[in-house]
Amino acid sequence: MAHHPMTTLVCLSFLGGSASGWHRMFDRLPAGFEPLPVDLPGFGAAAAIPGYSVTAMADHVAAAMRVRAPARWVLAGHSMGAKVAAVLARRAQDGEAGLEGLAGMVTLAGSPPGPEPMQESKRTAMLGWFSGSPVRNQRQARQYIRGNLALPLARPHREQLLRNMLPARVAAWAAWLREGSREDWRERIGVLDLPALVLSGTADADLGPAAQSRHMLPHLANTEFVPLPGAGHLLPMECPGAVARLIAERFAPAAAIPEAYLALINSDRVSTGTRAALLERAAAPPAPAPSMLSAAERGSLRAVVARIIPQTGPGRIDLTMQLIQQLSGPGDGWRNAALPADTTAWRTGLRTLDALAKGFAGRSPEAQDKLLQRIAAGRKGWFSHGQLDAAQMQAWFEDVRAEATRAYVAHPATFARLGYSGIAYGGDGFGKPGFTEISIGQREAWEPV
Amino acid sequence: MNFLEMRTYPTTDTVDAVVVGTGAGGAPLLASLARAGLRVVALEAGSNRDPEHFVADEASSDIYWLGERISAGMPEAFGANNSGIGVGGSLLHWGAFTPRPDPRDLRLRATTGAGVDWPIPHADLTPWIERVEGEIGVSGPSPYPWDPARRYQMPPVALNAPAQAMQAGCAALGIRTAAAPAAVLTRSWSQPDAPDRPACINCGHCHQGCRTGAKTSMDVTYLPQAVAAGAEIRPGCMVHSIERDAAGRVTAVVYRKDGVDHRQRCAALFLCAGAVETPRLLLHTGLGNANGQVGRNYMAHVATQVWGTFAPEMRCNKGYPSSLITEDMIRPADADFAGGYLVQSLGVLPVTLAAQVTRGRGLFGQALVDYMDGYNHLAGIGINGDCLPQDGNFLELSGETDESGMPKPLIHFTYGANEKAMSAHAERMMTAAWEAAGATDIWTCPRAAHTIGTCRMGDDPDSAVVDPAGRSHEVPNLFICDNSVFPSAMPANPALTIMALSLRTASAFLAA
Repeated sequence: MAHHPMTTLVCLSFLGGSASGWHRMFDRLPAGFEPLPVDLPGFGAAAAIPGYSVTAMADHVAAAMRVRAPARWVLAGHSMGAKVAAVLARRAQDGEAGLEGLAGMVTLAGSPPGPEPMQESKRTAMLGWFSGSPVRNQRQARQYIRGNLALPLARPHREQLLRNMLPARVAAWAAWLREGSREDWRERIGVLDLPALVLSGTADADLGPAAQSRHMLPHLANTEFVPLPGAGHLLPMECPGAVARLIAERFAPAAAIPEAYLALINSDRVSTGTRAALLERAAAPPAPAPSMLSAAERGSLRAVVARIIPQTGPGRIDLTMQLIQQLSGPGDGWRNAALPADTTAWRTGLRTLDALAKGFAGRSPEAQDKLLQRIAAGRKGWFSHGQLDAAQMQAWFEDVRAEATRAYVAHPATFARLGYSGIAYGGDGFGKPGFTEISIGQREAWEPV
Repeated sequence: MNFLEMRTYPTTDTVDAVVVGTGAGGAPLLASLARAGLRVVALEAGSNRDPEHFVADEASSDIYWLGERISAGMPEAFGANNSGIGVGGSLLHWGAFTPRPDPRDLRLRATTGAGVDWPIPHADLTPWIERVEGEIGVSGPSPYPWDPARRYQMPPVALNAPAQAMQAGCAALGIRTAAAPAAVLTRSWSQPDAPDRPACINCGHCHQGCRTGAKTSMDVTYLPQAVAAGAEIRPGCMVHSIERDAAGRVTAVVYRKDGVDHRQRCAALFLCAGAVETPRLLLHTGLGNANGQVGRNYMAHVATQVWGTFAPEMRCNKGYPSSLITEDMIRPADADFAGGYLVQSLGVLPVTLAAQVTRGRGLFGQALVDYMDGYNHLAGIGINGDCLPQDGNFLELSGETDESGMPKPLIHFTYGANEKAMSAHAERMMTAAWEAAGATDIWTCPRAAHTIGTCRMGDDPDSAVVDPAGRSHEVPNLFICDNSVFPSAMPANPALTIMALSLRTASAFLAA
């Protein structure tokens, strides 16, 4: 069997939010992810913890992580929590003890490292909240939730959100509005190298896609960016399925080679050169070349690839990163004359796909499949300059399918799954054994099943 | 291959001949010219390798020509589908399937009114083919069912699971089959001035390069013999310019090696770079094309495949990949097309097959993952079918250049009515064979393969680029020998004929 490490998903909430706001998203995470919400000081389970500055919040989370010390963890920060997450990611990248296992970061409607873009009138109005009567507080909480939601949320979920907001300490609430959201961490955070995912709702007034592009993406060298169509600010509640799926697709651990197949690869039936090629492919792929595809294009590509090769296991082959690497390589020796040069075709194809879907990666898998089926049939394209038309989309999608499929099947974990014996016809030097049992139904004793 | 004892020539010398390309076209004539005492230099774009270092891994195999070709029309896939790179050329990765051309295929126009006849009688070509077979080692059934006089020097390769399925399926339909003729040794083989070669071990990796030498490739046959006779092979050299004197004769070639241009003076030039790179170089240099025929008549074989799922394990990665043949379809009785096709059993390795499944069958998503999970139960059957030249099928230069500084080739290729009818006929025949063999979930993979034509051989200087000996009608010391000179595609896989033409062209050159 292949061993895949459990991934702990450490979740930091939005201003006023707490652990329970994540639960519906947690329910949709695949096996292999262990959720760990950490309430920030002044909120939820940490209501009594003092210290509301960004540093104090990050210290609080770092302390919790030192206690839990998961082998592999991904940090998810929602709104205010994203700023804390970015600070922690910087500290982890700088080698802080106890943060070693941090494997990635996802920001949801994230508050950026710099001062959060927020209208002063809104800030002033909100500063006065939650200091009156319980009835009034509840009305303000309702107003806050209503103002941050864009997609419909069923009444029970709204009520739960409301119940869990009210234990917040008003001092913590005010500290973020007055100071935390204004703290400028841009220089201290700089550019983070860890794998990241930036999510934002297209109907988010202050922290939507434009704000993320301007304020968040410049700090993330290896990120994918997915706008969630129609969503507002409360992403884990508004679209828990999409959030869970996108996190799993981006941050599932690399597919491991089952032990028995690994033993075959390491046996003297396999040549040194073949073994090296297979093990290199199985190692996690390096970060993408920076200028090849934009963060949004990478996010869209991952979504397309996930529909071409759906992977549901605890370990997944990062086909997207392999494809991005290949785009800067020598190519496969030819291209369809209907398409521009490879990198241009892929960028334009992804942008056209996004235009057709109005945000492909954020759509449901069913909607994505439906659109891809129509593209494959040559029935969906764009007819304006700078996009691909239906025939080009058909050709481009065929190329993407072929490359993703080749990358998937070429992975030794897939060879194991297929029970493929070809790699092991003979190792180095003289006397390669080859195959003798080659008739229908014949299998040599050592061949994988 | 071993270059340790290789003779070298200064670039300042005028050598007797420069040969561009070291594959099926270049290698045999290089050996012939060297043996005749000529001072010859072969320029090879790729590197020199030790076959031991080939990998049993499709994705990292580096013996394919990956310089980008732009494919208009169907389109035809290039890269690993048909062109190799390295000392040994495309024969590093070829399938070593060596049926001989059928006499009727050289006279397609005379017998059917379609296509073009070869300017060489079949009887003239056959001795050269037999000589090649004797020199490289070809296994096959004796007698050969479709040519009872024919004998092969060693018994055929073992039939693997797809071959056994095809044998059963064809038998049920009354179609004759036989073990395939293959340039693959079934017993050990000693050759003069080249390494001893062992029998095939059924590894199934012909297309990733043969690590034992059982499969014929030029780097274990003609090239070591050429080097032993005094030829020089220069790897990593991409020719991009050809210089001429006032009379129009070639005086030198200019090639780029490690980013630096070098000039090699020569008394004669042989272009043996294949039906894409040879016309590309001619069009780029403006040579030998006064009649506008360079690049015309591009052809590819109709290479339709049918795949199916079998209840028992097939493990089609094992064994010589195309170990069964039938020539019964060279002229099918019920044909609604001119010419015909060869049928072969198919073992295909999983990465290549998966790309075919998603391109050719259109599968993606869970259906694709599930299909590939059944890899060990899949087997295929496929054809190599004749292709008629058409005006709309040609090679030209695109507006984009690559690192060689030359424009990338743009290939226009689409099936005509004849190819479509042939493919449909083959699909029916192969589907019936697979049904009879017990396959389920049978599907057809449309596919074209090989690069043929573009520098036609012929007697008429107005319609042909080279004469029947391979000499340019326009430049007297320029010769072409590769699949670009083929007047028609013929169903037989091209390499055996290319090698025969190579010896023949060398002989004509030496006799002149």
